[in-house]
Amino acid sequence: MTVAVSVRGLTMHYSRRLVFRELSFDLAAGQAAGVVGPNGSGKTTLLRALAGCLTPSSGEIRINGLTPRDAISRTGVGYFAGEATLPGSVRAAHWGSLGAADDVTRESRRLRTLSRGTRQLLGLRTVLARHPLGLIVLDEPWEGLDPDAGRWVSTTLETKRDRGAAVVLSSHRLHDLAGLCDLYVFLLPHHVTVLRAHEIVSVGPVTAEHLAGVFDRLRGGAMLLRATS
Amino acid sequence: MRELWYLVRFFHVVPPAPSMMTGTFAVLTLASSIAIVANAGTATGALVPVLLLQAFAAASGFVLPARRGHFDLLFTRGNSRTAIAIVHWASSIGAGIGSWLVLASVELAVSGGARTTLIASGTCAAMFLVSTLPWATTVALPRFSGGIGWLLLAATLATTFSSPVLGEWTVTSTRIEDLVWPAWSFFVYPVAAVGKRLTLAQFLAVIPALTVSACAMVIACRWIAERDVPLEAAQ
Repeated sequence: MTVAVSVRGLTMHYSRRLVFRELSFDLAAGQAAGVVGPNGSGKTTLLRALAGCLTPSSGEIRINGLTPRDAISRTGVGYFAGEATLPGSVRAAHWGSLGAADDVTRESRRLRTLSRGTRQLLGLRTVLARHPLGLIVLDEPWEGLDPDAGRWVSTTLETKRDRGAAVVLSSHRLHDLAGLCDLYVFLLPHHVTVLRAHEIVSVGPVTAEHLAGVFDRLRGGAMLLRATS
Repeated sequence: MRELWYLVRFFHVVPPAPSMMTGTFAVLTLASSIAIVANAGTATGALVPVLLLQAFAAASGFVLPARRGHFDLLFTRGNSRTAIAIVHWASSIGAGIGSWLVLASVELAVSGGARTTLIASGTCAAMFLVSTLPWATTVALPRFSGGIGWLLLAATLATTFSSPVLGEWTVTSTRIEDLVWPAWSFFVYPVAAVGKRLTLAQFLAVIPALTVSACAMVIACRWIAERDVPLEAAQ
């Protein structure tokens, strides 16, 4: 197995505030990891560290043997943190043109005037249009999307994964993650757990119910996420 | 070269300064050009509003849009952070520099090459200062902070001291004690140097401000290159 992403003893802080600690996992090329956790548990922070935007407080991240900052210049990295990160004054077609040579959209309106789902889809299409992508890191990619767009995202991610990209996703929508991921990272306050799909269910595919069950157990029976909404 | 072109294209799509600022530069350039055509002797005065606007355009702020995720596409593309910072700066000052060059060309053309006040050494020094220091000091601050801070400082000094802080800019000798006040005066109000061909004493007086400005640029670029970029919403 060629390890694309290796995380060892990763601990993240914002100033004195501990976000999570001692997270370790390996992800091979052609595999997907799902990051699950309640709001404020550090999902975005983990993904941003993988994308090279944050330095670990301790521990290390290696992408194809390199630190994320060194790796992004050699490995095609597609990272998107959600539609809120798009600059509202930019015209949609102009933003789309930054992704690849092909036109992502011909929509001429400014991003701030588009619906949330349209912005989300445009952001995803712009990032995923890059080729080749060795690592895809997406923060709640299905958020705000209609069913058709959601299916497009899932299909595109499966295709990219099957072509050898390592994929790391965070989502509250467990049914979308369940169909896609080989590895699950459960981020809970003061506690992280990493489980491979076969550790969650020995026979058959992992379902949203399985994930919700594990999550529930790990939280000591506390609230469910928006599991199967 | 392709990566540099991408950076230029990115900051063309996501301009550091608001598009209204570019429009204002265009209007100022047109109005100032008409003034210079009517009377080439007004060239120095015609450049002043461009310099003032440039101080605000350059103070475009980097960290705030970066922490909103606007530059994520760049950060995860593998572009050098220093290159990102430099192209961001160049994009911030581009319209102002363009305006200055147009006005200098108009002055040259109108005077048949006889008048070159807008490319005089004092003008170049003033343009360098207003194009660099506001950008460097505003890197981690909200947009226009550097311009507003400078304007407040200049206004405060102008109303507090009776000495000719603004407007007049006389340097009598190259002795250090005689250079301190003119050096400070240029730092606070570089507009006073516009149109002047710097004498040795005046050149020595502008050196400290230009040095501070260049050092601030280097520090700002290094800061951008090395700092983490957390999302505002994720902390």
